Amino acid sequence: MNTINKKNSTHSQRNAVSEGRNTAIEVSNLQFSYTKESPPIIDIKAWQVSQGEHVFLSGPSGSGKSTLLNLLCGTLTPTQGDIALLAQPFSALSNRQRDKFRARNIGVVFQQFNLIPYLSVAQNINAAVYFASTNVSKTASDAKLRHLLDKLQLPSHVLHAKADALSIGQQQRVAIARALINDPQLLIVDEPTSALDTDARDSFMSLLKDVAGESTMIFVSHDKAMESYFDRHCSMSELSPSTNHLKTRGDEAPKAQERA
Amino acid sequence: MLSTIAIESLKRRKTTAILTLLSITISISLLLCVDIIRTQVKTSFTRTVSGVDLIVGAPSGQLNLLLSSVFNIGTPTKGIEYKSIAALQSNKQVSWLIPLSLGDTHRGFRVVGTTNSFFDHFKYGDMQSLEMAAGSTFTQPLSTVIGADIAKSLGYKVGDKIIISHGLGSVSFNNHDDHPFTISGIVKKTGTPVDKAVYVTLQGLEEAHTGPKHSPTSMLGRKSADKANEHEHEHEHEHDEHTKEHAVYNSEAFTPESVSVVMLGLKHRVTALQLQYQINQSKKEPLMAILPGMALAELWQIMGNVESLLLGLSGLIVICALIGLATMLLATMRERYQEIAVLRTIGAGPFTLLLLIQIEAMLLTIVSAALSLGLVAGLMSALKPWLSSTYGLFLSSPLFGQSSVIIILLILGCTYLVSLFPAVAAYRRGLHAGLNANS
Repeated sequence: MNTINKKNSTHSQRNAVSEGRNTAIEVSNLQFSYTKESPPIIDIKAWQVSQGEHVFLSGPSGSGKSTLLNLLCGTLTPTQGDIALLAQPFSALSNRQRDKFRARNIGVVFQQFNLIPYLSVAQNINAAVYFASTNVSKTASDAKLRHLLDKLQLPSHVLHAKADALSIGQQQRVAIARALINDPQLLIVDEPTSALDTDARDSFMSLLKDVAGESTMIFVSHDKAMESYFDRHCSMSELSPSTNHLKTRGDEAPKAQERA
Repeated sequence: MLSTIAIESLKRRKTTAILTLLSITISISLLLCVDIIRTQVKTSFTRTVSGVDLIVGAPSGQLNLLLSSVFNIGTPTKGIEYKSIAALQSNKQVSWLIPLSLGDTHRGFRVVGTTNSFFDHFKYGDMQSLEMAAGSTFTQPLSTVIGADIAKSLGYKVGDKIIISHGLGSVSFNNHDDHPFTISGIVKKTGTPVDKAVYVTLQGLEEAHTGPKHSPTSMLGRKSADKANEHEHEHEHEHDEHTKEHAVYNSEAFTPESVSVVMLGLKHRVTALQLQYQINQSKKEPLMAILPGMALAELWQIMGNVESLLLGLSGLIVICALIGLATMLLATMRERYQEIAVLRTIGAGPFTLLLLIQIEAMLLTIVSAALSLGLVAGLMSALKPWLSSTYGLFLSSPLFGQSSVIIILLILGCTYLVSLFPAVAAYRRGLHAGLNANS
C-alpha cells in the first residue's frame, strides 16, 4: 500500500478520481507477461477508479483488455506491481483469499460462455452464492434472486430451465443476475454486447446500468460507440502505452499465450 | 452445491458416464463374486462337519478321505473290515462311532449306508444336530432317510419307495430293483451335503448288494444304545416316537462285512492326536485316521494360491476400469475449460475444481459399488440352487462380509488415487483460467 501511496500522479489519475469518493481500484507499476522471456502485455504505471464509477475500457483486439480484467479478478497474478481493490492489497493476498474476495466482492459478466450449460438457471446463480460463503439465509438469497429476475425481466419459470436452453439474450441477463447476486462492489463486464445488434445492445445497456446501481463497473468493449453510457473512458493505449506501442510495430505476444 | 454440480455434469456426459459406470460395475461385481465364492466355500466347508473328532478310512490321502466321507465328492476309499470297526468301537477313548458305506447313487444323488447313530451324533454348522422335517430315522432294514433338497427336487415324501443304483454315475444300468427302500424320514434343511444325500441302513445296502443276511447283535450299536438309555428319561416326551422306532428296529445291531469310512467322536478331544497316531500305526489292518480340521486346513492351503490368483486378476480388472474412469474424465477436460473458467471467476478455487472432479469420480464408483452389491446379491440368489446342486456350495447369509467392505473401501481409495490425474489437470487449468477462456 505504501508503494501505491507514494506513486506519482499520471494523466489517468487526473481523469479518473472524482473528488470526495473512495478509491475502488488502484493500480501501480503493474506489469504482466505470460512467460519470463516474453515482453509484458500490460505495463500500467498508475490507474485509479473511484467507487461507484462506471468506466468504459476500450482497445483493439490483443491490446490486453481481458488480461487486465483477469488481473483485476485475481485469476492472473501480476508479474510486477500492485493492485488494490476496495482498499485491500488484492495482489498481495493468497490465492485462496483472492478467490474468496472475488466471490464476495466482484461480479463478472463474460463475453460468452457465461453460464455452466448443464446447470439450471437457479443452480448457476446459487453456485455464486455458495462460493461466496456469505451468511445470507436461503430465504433472503431466494428473495434477492426473484427481485433480480424481475428487474432483468426474466420470467420465474426460467429458474428451472437449463442454461443452454435459454436464448442468448436470456443467458446474458442470467449472467448479470449471477454477477449481482452477492451485491458486489465491483462489476467487471467483458464485451457482452459483441453478439448483439444495436437495438438489443441499447436495451441491454439500459438494463445493466439500471441493475448495477452503485457498484463500480469496468465495462470492456472495442466498440467506442458505447462510451456514452459511462462516466469515463479509458483506452488501453493510454493505460499501457508501452505495450500497445509494441503491438503497433507488429511485436505482438503470441495469441495463444495472450488470450486477450 | 459441489455434488449438485458433479451430478449435473455427469448427467450431461450421460453416455460416457453410463459406459464407465457399467465397466466399473461389472469389474466390482466380478471381484465381489470371487470374494463371496471364496469366503462362502470356506464357510460352507467348515460348517459341513462339526463335532467329529476323527475320520477313519483305508489309507489314501487325507483330502480324498475328507472329501468322500464328508462332502460326498470324489471316489470313496477301499473299505474297512468289521473287526477293525469293532476294535475302534471298544476303544475306551471313543464315545460314539458312525459307520458310512459309500459308492451307490439314487438318480445322481449319493447314497450313504449308515446307522441311526448318524442322526444321533452327526453335527454340522455350530454344533447343530440333524432334525427331521418329516417322518423318523430308520424304522426297518429297507428304510431310507433323504435330504431336504432331494425331497424338494424329486418331490418325495415319507412312505415313497425308491430304488438305488450301483456306482456313482448319474445314469446306471445296475439298479437294485428288487430292494426298494421306503422313505421313513426327511432331514430338515442343513445347507450342507446332507441335503443332497440318501441315507439307507447298512443292512439294507448290504442286502441290496449281496442278498439277505441274518447276523447276531454286533458291537456297533452298543455304545450308542447305552448312551440312549442313559438319557431315556430326560427326553421321554420329546423323543417318545423316536425311541419307539428304535425299539422296533435297531439299525446298529447289524454287522456289516465292511464299511467305507468311520466317523469317531471322542470322550476327550485332546486324545484325538494320540488316537490318530495309534490308528495310523495299527498293524492289524492298514488304516488312516484324519482330523477334519487339519484336512480342511490342507485344502485351504491348496486353494489359497488359486484364490489369490483369482482375486489378483479381478483386482487388476477393477484397476483397468478405474483407469478407464480417469481417462473418461481426462478426455472431457478439454470441453470443460470454459466451465472451469466460469467456476473460477465466480469464486471457486483451483482446489475446489480438483475436489469437483474427484467427487464426480467418487460418485461413479459409489454408484457402481451399490449397483454391484445389488447385482451380486441378485445373481447369487438366482444361482443359489445351481451352485448347491452342481458344486455343493451352500450360500449362507450374510452374503457380504468384512472382506466385501474392505474391497469396497480399497476400490474407493484407488478411485481417489486414479482420479487425481484428471483432478490435477483441472486444478492446473484452474490456476490459469480466466475470462475469455475459449482460446
